[in-house]
Amino acid sequence: MQFTTAVLTSLSSGAIYALMSIALVLVWRSTRVVNFAQAGQAVLTTYIGYEVIQRTGSYWIALVAAIVSGALIGAFIDRFFMRPIFKRVTSGPIVLIAPVVATLGLLGIIQAIIGIVWGLNIQSIQTPVANDGFNVNGTVIAFSLFNAFVLGTVTLTMILLTLLFQKTNIGLALRASAYSPEIAKLSGIRVDAVRTLGWAIAGAAGGLAGMLYIPGASLDPNAMDILLVFGFIAAVIGGLESMAGAVAGAMVLGFAINFATTYISTTLVFLTAFAILILVLLIRPSGLFASKKSRSA
Amino acid sequence: MLKHLAKKDSAKVHSTKHATKKRLLLFILAGWALLIISNQVEDLTLSRGAYIATFAVGIASIILLTGYSGQLSLGHSALMAVGAYAGALTINNLKWHPVIALIMAALIAGIFGLILGIAVARLSGPYLAGTTLALAVSLPSLANQFPILGGTQGLGFDVGFAPARFGEEFSQDKWFFWIAALAALIMIWFVANIAASRYGRTFRAMRDNPTAAQLSGINVAREKVIAFAISAAVAGLAGGLLVMLATGVSPSAFPLSLSFSLLTGAVVTGVYNLKGVILGGLVLVAIPEIAEALVSRIGGSEDLAVSLPGFLVSALLILAVMFTPNGPGHIFKSKH
Amino acid sequence: MIRNTRTKRISIASALIAAGAMVLSTVPAQAAETTGVTATTIKLGISSPKTGSAGLVYGKLPGAMKAYFDYINANGGVNGRKITLVARDDKYLPTLAATQTKNLILDDKVFALVGALGTATHARAYTAASLAKNNVPDLFVNTGFSGFTNKAKYPTAFAVLPSYAMEAKIMAKFIKDNPTLAPQASFLIAQDDEFGIDGVGGFKAAGHTFTKPPTLYPQGGLTAALAEGALTLLSAAPGKPVLVLFGTTDSTATILKAAEKLALTTKFTFIAGSVGGDANTLLALGVKATTVDGILAASFFPDAKDSTDEYVKQFTAINTKYNKGVTFDNIVLQGMNSAMLTVQALRAAGKNLTRTGLIKAIESKGSTFASAGLLPLNYSATSRVGYNGYWFGQLNAKGELKPFGGKLSLYTTDSTAGLVTASTFVRKSIPKNGIPNN
Repeated sequence: MQFTTAVLTSLSSGAIYALMSIALVLVWRSTRVVNFAQAGQAVLTTYIGYEVIQRTGSYWIALVAAIVSGALIGAFIDRFFMRPIFKRVTSGPIVLIAPVVATLGLLGIIQAIIGIVWGLNIQSIQTPVANDGFNVNGTVIAFSLFNAFVLGTVTLTMILLTLLFQKTNIGLALRASAYSPEIAKLSGIRVDAVRTLGWAIAGAAGGLAGMLYIPGASLDPNAMDILLVFGFIAAVIGGLESMAGAVAGAMVLGFAINFATTYISTTLVFLTAFAILILVLLIRPSGLFASKKSRSA
Repeated sequence: MLKHLAKKDSAKVHSTKHATKKRLLLFILAGWALLIISNQVEDLTLSRGAYIATFAVGIASIILLTGYSGQLSLGHSALMAVGAYAGALTINNLKWHPVIALIMAALIAGIFGLILGIAVARLSGPYLAGTTLALAVSLPSLANQFPILGGTQGLGFDVGFAPARFGEEFSQDKWFFWIAALAALIMIWFVANIAASRYGRTFRAMRDNPTAAQLSGINVAREKVIAFAISAAVAGLAGGLLVMLATGVSPSAFPLSLSFSLLTGAVVTGVYNLKGVILGGLVLVAIPEIAEALVSRIGGSEDLAVSLPGFLVSALLILAVMFTPNGPGHIFKSKH
Repeated sequence: MIRNTRTKRISIASALIAAGAMVLSTVPAQAAETTGVTATTIKLGISSPKTGSAGLVYGKLPGAMKAYFDYINANGGVNGRKITLVARDDKYLPTLAATQTKNLILDDKVFALVGALGTATHARAYTAASLAKNNVPDLFVNTGFSGFTNKAKYPTAFAVLPSYAMEAKIMAKFIKDNPTLAPQASFLIAQDDEFGIDGVGGFKAAGHTFTKPPTLYPQGGLTAALAEGALTLLSAAPGKPVLVLFGTTDSTATILKAAEKLALTTKFTFIAGSVGGDANTLLALGVKATTVDGILAASFFPDAKDSTDEYVKQFTAINTKYNKGVTFDNIVLQGMNSAMLTVQALRAAGKNLTRTGLIKAIESKGSTFASAGLLPLNYSATSRVGYNGYWFGQLNAKGELKPFGGKLSLYTTDSTAGLVTASTFVRKSIPKNGIPNN
C-alpha cells in the first residue's frame, strides 16, 4: 500500500515539476537565460486566477485567465525587460550573469507587488473536481480525480508543445532562433519576436502550473518558490535541452523525493533533491538527455 | 628589443610591489579611521556598522568568484552557514578562543568549498547555478539531521564581553564592530591582494575566454577550484561574523534569499572590483531602514511595510543591471 | 628605489590622531531606567513574524495589542501617559529578530518589549540585543518554550503562554484517562521546529510512548504528497488510533486535507496542538467542517466565538471599534489579553515608572491581574511562569471549541516531571468596561 501511494504521489509531484521545468527549458533554449522570475510569474498569474474565482466562482474561467495572463506577462517581460538588457549589456563577462540577476530582481519585485496588492495572508483555491482518492477494490488510493486531471493536462500540454515545436513553422522558427540566432535572422526569421513568443509560451506554462499546483497546496507570494527550485533542478537533471528531458528530469526528481521521504525519513526533502542532482551531474555533467553534440553552456 | 622588454618588466614588477605596499597602507589607514569613528558614534550605528562589515565580506566572496573568475554561485548562503556552524562548534565544543573560531569558520568553509569545487569543476553556467541553488536550499536542513548541530534551535556563539581593560562603558556593540571591522579589513585586503596577483590575472583570463586560457597553458579546472575554495573561505568568515552578531546560529539564519542579497549587493556596486564592497554592504543594511522610514512617512499599510524592502532591493538590482552593469563607477569614467 | 616620505608622514599623523581620539573620547552615560518614558507617553516594542507559516498564525498579534492600547489611551491612558507600540517584522528568522530587537532598543528606544514571539527567534534576540545588560523588561513572551522562565538566563523575561511541554503532558494524561482512547495505538506528526519538537519532549516527560517514533516534517516542507505518504503508513494500524498533530495551522490543514482525500478522517481520532488547531483558519484553508467536527484540542482561553464569555464580549467590542477589518479570533484574543496584562503591570509600577520597577511590579502583583485566561498566572519573586495549564475541548462543525464531555475541567502542571493535577481556579471577573483599575 505504501509503495502504491509512493508511486502515485510521485507521478502527481513529477507532473507539476514538469510544467515548471518545461517553462524554464523553453526560456533557456530561446534566450540562454535561466528565468528565476518564472516562480514569480506563475504565482502572480495564480493570484489573478484567484481574483477571477472570487468574482466568477468558476475555476475554469480562472484557468483560462491564468494561462492567458501568463502568456501576456511573459511576453511583456521579454519585450520590456530582457530585450533592453540584452541591448545594453553587450560586453564584458557581465553578459553571462546580467540576465540571470535581472530575473532575480524581477522575482523580488513581483513578490513584493503581490504582497502590497493582495496582502501576505495565506489563501486557498478549491480544487475544480473532487480531490477524494479513488476507491479501488475497497481501499482508497492516493490518487483522485484531481490528480488525474493534473496528469492528463500536463500530458496534453506536452503533446501540444511537442507538436508545435516539431510540426509547425513557428516551432521551427523557435528552434532555429534558439540554436543559431544569426543564421535564423539571415533566413528572414524575426528573432526578437520569436524569442518573445518563447517567453509567452513559457509564461503560459507557468500560469497553468500554478493553477494545477495551488489547489492542492495554499496560496501566498512565496508559494511557488519551492517549485522554482525543484523545476530548475529537474531541468538541469534532464539536460536543459529538450522538453522530453525536462519531463524526464521532473519525474526522476519526483520519484526520488517521494520515495526517500516515504521510506527513509520525512525530513529529507531538500537533501534528496540535492543528492540526486549531484549524482546525475557527476555521471553526466550535461544532464541525462543532453546529446554529445550539445552546445556548451 | 629584449632589453626594452626587460626594463618594462622590471618596472611592472617594481610598480606591483609599490602597489602592494600602497594597498597595505590604505587598509591600515582605513583601520585607524574606523577606530577613531567608533569612539564617536552611538551603539546603534556601531551595530549597523558591524553588519555592513559582515555583508561586505560576503559580497567580497561573490566578487571574487563571479566577478573575477566568472562562476555564478547561488549557494553562498550555504557556504556562510558552513562557516557559521564551524565557528559555533569551535566555541561550544572545542571551547577555543573566539578568534580561532572565526579562523576555523573560514578554514572549514574553504575546505568545504574545495571539495564542492572539485565536484562541480566540470559544470558551468546554469548547471553550476542550479547545483549551488540546490545546495543553498538543502544544506540548512542538514542541521536537523545531526543533533550535534543543535537542530532548529541551533547553537549559541558567544564571543564574550570586551576585555575589562577597555572599561565598563565599552559596549558590546562596539566590541562587535571592532571584531567585524578588523576581520573585514583583513579579509578584503587579502582578496584585493589575490585579485592583483598572478591568481587574479589567471582568473580573469579564465573568465574572459576559457578556451584561450586553456590553450595558453592555464589549467582551467584547477584554477576554478582554487577560486571556489578561496571564495568559500571568505564566505565562511562572513558566516562566522554574522553568527557572532546574532549570538548564535540556526538553520533558518541562512535562507536562499541571503544568496540573492549577496548577489544583489555585488552587482549593484560593481561585480568586477572590490571598491564597491563596503557600499554594497551599506546598501543591504540601509535598504530595510530606508523602507521602514518611507512607510512610516507615508503611513502605509502593514503589508506595504513588509513588502517594501524587498521591492526596493529588487528594483535597485534591476536598475543596476540595466544602467550600470559594470558598476556605478563606470558612469563617471569617460568613454574610451 | 623611490622613498615615499609622504606615506610615512601620513601613518605617523594618523597614529597620533588615533591615540588622541582614544584618550579624549568618552561614551556618554545612558539613563536607561526610564528610556522610552516621557511625561505623556510610554513606548513599547514587539518583534514578530508577519509572513510565512508563523505569520499565518501570529500575524494579527501586534494589531490586536495596539487596538487594546488605543482603547486604553482613549480612556485616560496609564497614569496620564499614552501607550505607543512599535511593531517590527522579523519573518520568524532568528537573525532578523536579533536585528529588529536591537533596533527597538537602540533606535526606537522603547521602554519595554511586549509579546516577543518565537523560541529560536527570541532566544537569539534576547542575547544579541543585550536585554539583560540593559535591564529591558521582556513582558509576556509569546512562545511555548519553557526556557524563558529561567531567571538566571533571562532575568528580565516573563512568559505568559503555557509551555508546549505542559500541553503535551496534559494531552498525554487525557489520552491515558480516557477509556476509549487509552487502549488505541497513538501516533504523533510534529513540525520539526519549536512548534512541534517541544511537544515531542513533553510527551516523553509525561511518560507517554507512541506506537511509532514521531513523524517529523520540516517547517514549510509539508507537501500533500508527504502527508499522504505519512497517513498511508499510519493507517495500517488496527482500530481507531489517536493521531496528535503538533505544528502550525497550514501544516495541520495539509494533513487533514490529505486525510479527507484518503477517506481516513474517521480512521483516526485527531488531537490538534493549540497553535495549529485554530478552527477558523483550518476552515479558511479548505478543511471540511465535517473533518473539523470532533477534533480534540487543548486551550487555556475561552473560545473566541463564545460570546457568553465576558472577556470575549468586551474584547470583541474593542476589536470592532479599534481594529477595523480584522476578524476576532483566538490570536486577537491572545493579543488583547497580553495588552491588558501589560496595562495592569504599568499601573502597578506606579507613576514613577522605571524598568526595574516594572519588573518588580509583575513579580509582586502579577498573579492577581485580571485576565481572560481560565488558568491561573504564576508570577512571583521566584517564578516567571504565566499560565500553567489547559482545559480539554472538542471542536464542532462550526469551529467552536467546547469543553470535552460538556464540563470544563482545568488541569495544571509544570514543564518538567511534575504531575498533572486538577485545578479549581476561578478567574477574576473582568474590570468594568475592560479598563483595569488595579
